[in-house]
Amino acid sequence: MASQDKKRTITWKEVKKQKVLIIWSLIIVVYGVIFCYLPLAGWMMAFQDYKPKNGLFHSAFIGLAKFEQLFSDSTFIRVIRNTLGMGVINLVVTFVAAIVFAILLNEVKSNGGKKTVQTISYLPHFLSWIIVTGILHDALSSTGIINELLLKFHILDQPLNFFAHPKYFWPIVAFANVWKETGWNAIIYLSAITAIDPSLYEAANMDGAGRWARIRYVTLPGIKPTIMILLLMNVGNVLNAGFEIQYLLGNGLVKSVSETIDIYVLKWGISQNDFSIGTAAGIFKSFVSIVLIVIANQIAKKNGEERLF
Amino acid sequence: MKKKNVTVIVLTVAVLFIMGMTAGLIRGSSNKPIKEFTAFFDVQGEEINEDNEIRELIAQKIGARCIEQWLSGKSAEDAIASFIASGEYTDLISGSTMLYEAGALIPIDAYWDNYPNIKAFLPAEVWDRFRQPDGHIYWIPQFGIVHGKSAEVLHEGEAFWIQTRVLKWAGYPEIRTLDAYFDLLEAYVAANPMLEDQANIPFTILCDDWRDFCLENPPQFLDGYPNDGSCMVDVETQTVLDYNTTETARRYFQKLNEEYNKGIVDQEFYTQSYQEYLEKLASGRVLGMVDQWWQFSYAINNSLERLSDQGCGYVPLPITIDSSITNQWHVKRGTELSVADGIAITVSCEDIAGAMQFLNDILDEEIIKLRYWGIEGVDYEVSENGMYFRTPEQRGKSRDMEYKNAHFCIYSHLPRIEGMLSDGMNAFSPEYQEEEFLNGLVPDVRECLAAYGCRTYVEMLGTNDAPGAWFPMYSFSEMLTQESMAGRVWDRMKSIKSEYLPRVVMTEDFDAMWQQYMENYEACQPEIFFDAMQQELERRIKISE
Amino acid sequence: MNKMKGTKIKTSAWDKVFVVCNTLFMVAFVVVTLYPVLNTLAISFNDGTDALRGGIYLWPRKWTLKNYITVLQKQNLITGAYITVARTVSGTLLALAANAILAFIVSRKNFLFKRELSLFWVITMYVNGGMIPTFLLYRGLHLTNSFWVYIIPGMFSAFNMLVIRTYMAGIPDSLEESAQLDGAGYTTIFLKIISPLCKPVYATVALFVAVGQWNSWFDAMLYNRMSSHLTTLQYELMKLLSSVTNQGTSAEAMKNAAGTVTPTSVRAAATILTMLPIICLYPFLQRYFVTGLTIGGVKE
Repeated sequence: MASQDKKRTITWKEVKKQKVLIIWSLIIVVYGVIFCYLPLAGWMMAFQDYKPKNGLFHSAFIGLAKFEQLFSDSTFIRVIRNTLGMGVINLVVTFVAAIVFAILLNEVKSNGGKKTVQTISYLPHFLSWIIVTGILHDALSSTGIINELLLKFHILDQPLNFFAHPKYFWPIVAFANVWKETGWNAIIYLSAITAIDPSLYEAANMDGAGRWARIRYVTLPGIKPTIMILLLMNVGNVLNAGFEIQYLLGNGLVKSVSETIDIYVLKWGISQNDFSIGTAAGIFKSFVSIVLIVIANQIAKKNGEERLF
Repeated sequence: MKKKNVTVIVLTVAVLFIMGMTAGLIRGSSNKPIKEFTAFFDVQGEEINEDNEIRELIAQKIGARCIEQWLSGKSAEDAIASFIASGEYTDLISGSTMLYEAGALIPIDAYWDNYPNIKAFLPAEVWDRFRQPDGHIYWIPQFGIVHGKSAEVLHEGEAFWIQTRVLKWAGYPEIRTLDAYFDLLEAYVAANPMLEDQANIPFTILCDDWRDFCLENPPQFLDGYPNDGSCMVDVETQTVLDYNTTETARRYFQKLNEEYNKGIVDQEFYTQSYQEYLEKLASGRVLGMVDQWWQFSYAINNSLERLSDQGCGYVPLPITIDSSITNQWHVKRGTELSVADGIAITVSCEDIAGAMQFLNDILDEEIIKLRYWGIEGVDYEVSENGMYFRTPEQRGKSRDMEYKNAHFCIYSHLPRIEGMLSDGMNAFSPEYQEEEFLNGLVPDVRECLAAYGCRTYVEMLGTNDAPGAWFPMYSFSEMLTQESMAGRVWDRMKSIKSEYLPRVVMTEDFDAMWQQYMENYEACQPEIFFDAMQQELERRIKISE
Repeated sequence: MNKMKGTKIKTSAWDKVFVVCNTLFMVAFVVVTLYPVLNTLAISFNDGTDALRGGIYLWPRKWTLKNYITVLQKQNLITGAYITVARTVSGTLLALAANAILAFIVSRKNFLFKRELSLFWVITMYVNGGMIPTFLLYRGLHLTNSFWVYIIPGMFSAFNMLVIRTYMAGIPDSLEESAQLDGAGYTTIFLKIISPLCKPVYATVALFVAVGQWNSWFDAMLYNRMSSHLTTLQYELMKLLSSVTNQGTSAEAMKNAAGTVTPTSVRAAATILTMLPIICLYPFLQRYFVTGLTIGGVKE
């Protein structure tokens, strides 16, 4: 597949043959340019001392001053650390959880049980973050179910205020992500698993492979392309560690670990009426994402794996 | 896919599209002569019903109505910022420096000549305090404009509150100091740990997001100063003082720290949300807290009324750090005029004259009566000698949420004239009518006040005149933005305080944490901020002379 | 599938341990996932003031419908529901069609601009111009204060395109080639050959888009704030939940034992009400996933 791309030559005959595809592509590209690329003119703001009064086209240009301001701000450095930290943890944890859950669910023999568990596992995905954080706040409060259980089993002798300690914040966010998305993310793997050629399992059985060997040598390789494409997509999203959950769960005590780039942009950009700094941070994020995605894509290409483009 | 299915889907989509499009036309096609203005307020509020009776009545009388929108995200600044980002506003909006700087507001003083109620709303010299750097006035203050005498019955501001059952249990002692307050709470909770089957919470503080001011500003009150908000002002020397670094501040936070470690201060005080805080209060379990009355009262009144026989109502206590200091928790209403915000007309408003007329008309006495008292004979009665009063049934109805939303339209965040109506005997609102206030008091609160020889909250605290023409100074610090050095310093100070104050209270080693806090605080260079405050103080004194 | 391999597996002791552990794990998973939802359900049917005392787990202590009545009495809720249904249905169908066409194009192995078009969309996942220019653009296109702002801007999405593309890539080329030999054009191949095979992935993407549409409120706030007739269900609920007043009835009304509500209990009712339609939709879509799985199983 890869070699075809390189040797490709555009001939009139081919173009004519693909007329329909090209016309549709053009329509779609026009849409994309308007809705996805035209707003990028807003990136100008990062190089301006943007004043809402003057608008995008009449604000003074100030070069890279906003970027310098960003990177000299110790808060921003901390915010990058938090974003990367939570981004990587969330990526790894939700990714692994979904795959493990899909594989384990596949090992459940009863069809009814399988379907029931599957249906229930999706429920949390339909809850918005505001509701999920509400539930979390209730569950983790001093009279909440978690503290009640911990007290009952004498793991604690007095209620623990989870939201007061920075060390619990990242795990809470990771757990919330796992809780909300595992069932949902697993659906793609489950369908990939069932698409695996049954004869492979039979062959494995004839070779006397146990359950573990079947998972390892048949199931996992079978869903590898799916894993790869999702992994690639998510690598670029590492800096999108989230906004709502940290925003809704954060407070002054855990600020040092809870603020992500998006919150920083909102707090020090928009709330302070400084849209330029927010735009600069946004450009930085996009830049990092694209670099990561290109690297990951190249690696995938080199190893002959599924890739994004 | 079968043909039939496709047809069904296509039809559904078509129908839904038409539904979506026509939904817009239904409203637009009503051709009543009544003008409609939209308004956004940067606080959370209750939306009234679309066919609210009094709103319609007012609309019939003055030919205009206002559709109120309230804050629905987490912070007011974000909401305002999203307006600025979009460049599209409601006709009326909670005006602020941020909006002024964004060029979002129109100068009302350029239009007000035909609208006497607005122009004469404040004396010219007071209006001058609202002038922005370009010399124009952009917003009209909503609260605290008193024409005539004001009935001093409500204490809407901050205080250390305590449940009446605690005072009753102790035989109504005089509580004057912070130490005595906490001693009483400790003694009470030791003797009465439970309310029915739930544990009492001796003391809590609301700290959700921007509502953390009741954690950080009590040192000014404890030192006997009134609510200047971001600083204290020494009246003798006319200098600005920092209440964050005083010995009193240290003593106050050390006390909180001690009580926190003893389990008297709610272990969750800092992480609870506003909602959770209100729910705790409504359950009757919280014995005391430091808070501003308006933050909790409206939300929990009905619940506390039901718990009245158990003594769960709150009264304020005149507390200072040392009994030799006189408190200034309460300052007379009408003297505390904030120039930092008010209602403004935006550049998106297409009918500025109409909006001015609307704001002018809602200040007419007849409309004020409709807004606050309601309809005579329905919501209130008039006695033979002309006094307005409500029957218990009317009072009950006025607190019923469903009835309120369907019937009352107080336009709570549009300008109002407080004080007395022109008859000189009735207050503009039942809330400020002395008889009404007394009749509306929860029984346990009335009993408790009486035990102290008082009738109102204000009598519990004593009342004070504003210390000077500069009061309150927070109206300046609230106007600071990132544009100025002082504004940036102020932001950093607030940020450090919100990060360290909870730590200071919750730490096991107070001294070390306090020192760390002070170091970080000083690193913000607060002197830059206080220099700006001092200049503003001098400017205000000069204007008033 | 499980059935045919089931009998052949040698059941060792380890295997039994695994089955027990796995079952326990699934039970635990279900409990952890379901408990908060059921707890919310219980609170939604419980008297608000009573719920403040805590101790409600899976069953209401003091039954009331008042929470639901409060939510349903909310002004604009009907308009919001109407618009939300309209945007969910039309938005989902349009987005599905759009992404399917796009995915079809970029999954044609010999398409000349396959890589460029993919890259063009992959980049859009990671860049955006921010709130102000986006707003200016929408206003310029007359999308603000209009129903279309819910549908048009989010129609194409790289993520959904990639999901469909990956699935389409697994369909054997031979199908397309033989159709082409029969003289079928790309339109016919897309409609008659590829799409019927893609039902499961279409169902997946439809679910993705529908849930997104159903839950969104920010666009209603940002772009249609001035048009209350275009409000959405979630936006109205957001407003309801952030209105802080403890909507207790007065002491007078209390005597009629009407029951009381608190913000928490109202929130619980609102949550359940918004979840219901989506939950009902699910089994309907699950059918497609399951049939999809068997097609996938035999396709090689």
